[in-house]
Amino acid sequence: MFADELKTFRRLGLRHVLLQLLNFASVIASGLMIWKGLGLVTNSESPIVVVLSGSMEPAFYRGDLLFLTNPANQRYQTGDITVYKIPGADIPIVHRVLETHDDKKKDKQLLLTKGDNNYVDDLELYQGLQWLERKHIVGKVRGFLPYIGYVTIAMNDFPQLKFALLGGLGLLALIQRE
Amino acid sequence: MAKDSKHANHTDQRASSEPPDRPTGPLSIPVSNEARDEVKVNNANVSELKNACDDAVKRYLARPDLFKQIHVHTDVRLGLGWLSVFVAAGAALYGYKVEFEKSKPVVWFGVIMYVVLTTIQTLYAYFVEGDTVFMGRRKTFSKRIITERITLSSKTQPATKPTKNQPTSTPPAYTLSISYFRSTNAGKSLLARGKTKVVRGYPSFFDEQGTMHQEVFEKWVGEAVESAMDGKND
Repeated sequence: MFADELKTFRRLGLRHVLLQLLNFASVIASGLMIWKGLGLVTNSESPIVVVLSGSMEPAFYRGDLLFLTNPANQRYQTGDITVYKIPGADIPIVHRVLETHDDKKKDKQLLLTKGDNNYVDDLELYQGLQWLERKHIVGKVRGFLPYIGYVTIAMNDFPQLKFALLGGLGLLALIQRE
Repeated sequence: MAKDSKHANHTDQRASSEPPDRPTGPLSIPVSNEARDEVKVNNANVSELKNACDDAVKRYLARPDLFKQIHVHTDVRLGLGWLSVFVAAGAALYGYKVEFEKSKPVVWFGVIMYVVLTTIQTLYAYFVEGDTVFMGRRKTFSKRIITERITLSSKTQPATKPTKNQPTSTPPAYTLSISYFRSTNAGKSLLARGKTKVVRGYPSFFDEQGTMHQEVFEKWVGEAVESAMDGKND
């Protein structure tokens, strides 16, 4: 089955094969670097997130794409919409800041959040903590795009889509020449 | 000095009368018919046409007994490219394993190195490699060791619309520039030098279905290379 492909590869030469693989690999590498660079510039671990629940309606709906920044020297204020991750829970949660306090002894900011569409604040979500700290915050929402996040939700619910997309990208890179 | 000028005169005299001493040119070595794979491209895509012609040039001149291809440009691109891929992969993996705040210095370094390597690659391809399609070298032994170097670069001349001075439109054309050096004594005495530039429209090499007339193309390239080897200077 692979005899034909092997024959073609031997005829084209090792350099040609390496070049084609390089095309594919550098597409992935540049995507990775753009993502990491964006994270560094915004000082946020994950500068683009997708809204998964309806707890911030009518501001954000499930499937919205959110853009975050995390300026290190700015205080978070009541009314800011933050995305945070509780250690031990994998999912980032996007809710609004209800209260802020400054802990003078340890020189850090303590926050309490609540989803706009929820009845109670997030104390139960904090898994034992009384307050959120700055280090739990991924970032503050600066802007959003509606509906775009459904692509990510679909790829998470149907993992075959992820492989299909990657396979299609790879095929495209291999077939075309620069 | 005197020896060199005598040498140059001698070469000029010999160039005009088809010297028996000239190393074999590509036209003298016929292409066997079984080695031929059909080349079919999309006629409407000019870059596909150019790539097919470039590949045919490489195949034609890298045959045994002809030039040995110098892969410097490809190797530099491969080296820089794969290095940047590994740097990117390393930085991304580190950022994934280590917590965000602690990973920042390494990821900064990785991202900046990636940008630097990619910039160097682009500058190299634009300034150093340029339009080069084939770089070859050959050493032959006839009375003394003769070293030859040949460089071919190609460009597409875009199609033109009919104008007042030129009433018919011209199709896109393939420009081939050849630069040739022949020397002996480990490159110290120059025997011959040639530089030619030939242009021909793509329709002469491709039919309506997009199949390439490789014999026509090879004959055209062979003639241009041999005229460069004869010392013609454009």
